[in-house]
Amino acid sequence: MIECPACKHQEFVGSLFCGECGTRLVRLSGSPTVQVPRNRIDQEASVTKPGTLDVPELEPGAVLGLWVVTTGAVLSLVGRDSYTLGRVIPTEAIIPDIDLSSFRANDHGVSRIHAEIRVDVDGVRVVDLDSANGTLVNGKRLNPQDPARIRQGDIIQLGSLSLQLISRFRG
Amino acid sequence: MSGVEDYYALLGVPRNATQEQIRRAFREAALRLHPDKNLRPGETELFLDANRAYEVLNDPTRRAAYDRELLEAEAELRSSSVFTCAIQHSRKALLQLDEPQVHYLLLDVTPAPGFEAARPPINLCIVVDRSTSMRGQRLDQVRSAAQAILEGLQEGDKASIVAFSDRAEVVVSPDQAKDRAVSRARLSLLQAGGGTVIGQGLETGLAELHASFSHDGVNHLLLLTDGRTYGDETACLDMADLAIKDGITISGVGIGADWNDRFLDDLTSRTGGAVAFLDTPKAVTALLQRTFEALSRVFANRVQLEGAFAQEVDLRSAFRLLPDPTPMADALPITLGHLPRDGQIRLLLELVVHPIGQISELVLANLTVCGDILGVGLERQKLPFEIRCPVSRHPDPEPPPQDIVATLNLVALYRMQEKARHEAELGHSSQAARRLENLATHLLASGERDLAKAALNEAQRLVHTRHLSTEGEKRLKYGTRALLLPSKSSAP
Repeated sequence: MIECPACKHQEFVGSLFCGECGTRLVRLSGSPTVQVPRNRIDQEASVTKPGTLDVPELEPGAVLGLWVVTTGAVLSLVGRDSYTLGRVIPTEAIIPDIDLSSFRANDHGVSRIHAEIRVDVDGVRVVDLDSANGTLVNGKRLNPQDPARIRQGDIIQLGSLSLQLISRFRG
Repeated sequence: MSGVEDYYALLGVPRNATQEQIRRAFREAALRLHPDKNLRPGETELFLDANRAYEVLNDPTRRAAYDRELLEAEAELRSSSVFTCAIQHSRKALLQLDEPQVHYLLLDVTPAPGFEAARPPINLCIVVDRSTSMRGQRLDQVRSAAQAILEGLQEGDKASIVAFSDRAEVVVSPDQAKDRAVSRARLSLLQAGGGTVIGQGLETGLAELHASFSHDGVNHLLLLTDGRTYGDETACLDMADLAIKDGITISGVGIGADWNDRFLDDLTSRTGGAVAFLDTPKAVTALLQRTFEALSRVFANRVQLEGAFAQEVDLRSAFRLLPDPTPMADALPITLGHLPRDGQIRLLLELVVHPIGQISELVLANLTVCGDILGVGLERQKLPFEIRCPVSRHPDPEPPPQDIVATLNLVALYRMQEKARHEAELGHSSQAARRLENLATHLLASGERDLAKAALNEAQRLVHTRHLSTEGEKRLKYGTRALLLPSKSSAP
């Protein structure tokens, strides 16, 4: 069985679309994710260090947020217990919860459905969803589909796009 | 098929069936079709056919000889067939897996090249609902649309108009249809009043078609209704089954919110026809013209897909994409309807392949396309073919064909709408509402603003009233089907 990255519905191997939420389950040659050279990813990883940045306050009500290192924008994560990160393509019916296309996600090698942030009672985790260029936490590459615990100040790097986690969670 | 019948298809077993499977299939057929038991005319003949098939297949020596004979006969048929069939697979190879996997096939049936065919004569009966609810604009529009069709008849064409409420009468007979003044006068007599008994209309309409039956032409009944028929649904469906046996196809037009779309879908799809939904009667003229146009381009009638899938393979769903996007029955034989001269029948098959062992290739199915070619007196023409797929240990790195992905994307939207409706009917209204919101997002992403808005409206309605509107559910159903039309899907 394969699992839909958007809704976790189980489908038979070979399915092209999720029968539950309609998300496409295959990569297409039509608009492939830009392959980012490893050294650019490593360079980005060495430049941004966790916890050292002057991070703005979260908006009231939000428990979690992502600070986009390159632009300084803050994305609040409100109202769900999991958030898919990716980029929207106008012609395709794949909508991640957090759309990063306005942060030049394509040039940074962010996949359409790249990673997911899961909020649980015992903390926050990030999972790489078999993205083309991979996900790094504080410069360390994650294994695809393997959840990694993240904390306030950690740098989550999608391809070469760095996001810093802002969290009211303790520990 | 040049003297050699497909005994496997007769018993409904795959070609690689074990002797035990063949025995079981025969026992089941015999129980159902035995002259002491069977119910319908023609079933005794089927029983004799099944007997003949079993006699040969049950004897391994005779079966082996028959298999060779069958393959030769099929090869010969293929080389001289009036059809061609192109097949696309979603993957180049199946996987050696110990769990089920899904495999998609896209079949394109076309007339064989070099087969010249002329415009067939058309024998059309338009069956009009004249119940009270049709009063006013609806009936006015239908009247002028029908008149336009009658005026466009060519030499050799025949047309009639039947109106029904609780009873049915012939408003314009084929003879009257030839005279413009007479048909106009007759149509002006068409007045609304009474209930909707579709069976009455069908019976009279089919009788008209039989009376002016065209042996080398298209015989078609077009049913226009805005209401529900009560109590005679089964009789109607039986009439449709008999009609297609005689080569008569049925299509439907539903106007407004209050007709029974599932019944009309069932009625028409038995004959390979389709249903159109009109939210406003204004579009009826254009729709009738399109239907008439399509009838004049028919190359083959009663096109069917027969045969059997391998025992490792189940057909999960079938969807006809061209000429009219319609979900099909999920069992063989599948009635596909008309094949246009200058076009194709495109069919999407969704297969579940059960765990397969260490083999390098799987025969997925042995299928036959079968149909009557109009105008040349060729009945039950066949194109037998085998669908094979290599089996590999490693996934195919290549993306699936664009045609299949684009199609499935839109079929997925249609299915979401079906699921939401089903959930709403079960009372899971919040679940249905969430699904419709999700559908709206997908629709917006593909630029279908109006349909997305309709989905959102219905989602809100579900939250407030726990029900879908009867008009909204039809708009979404036929709207998402229409996305599969080439003119739609090529839009950005």
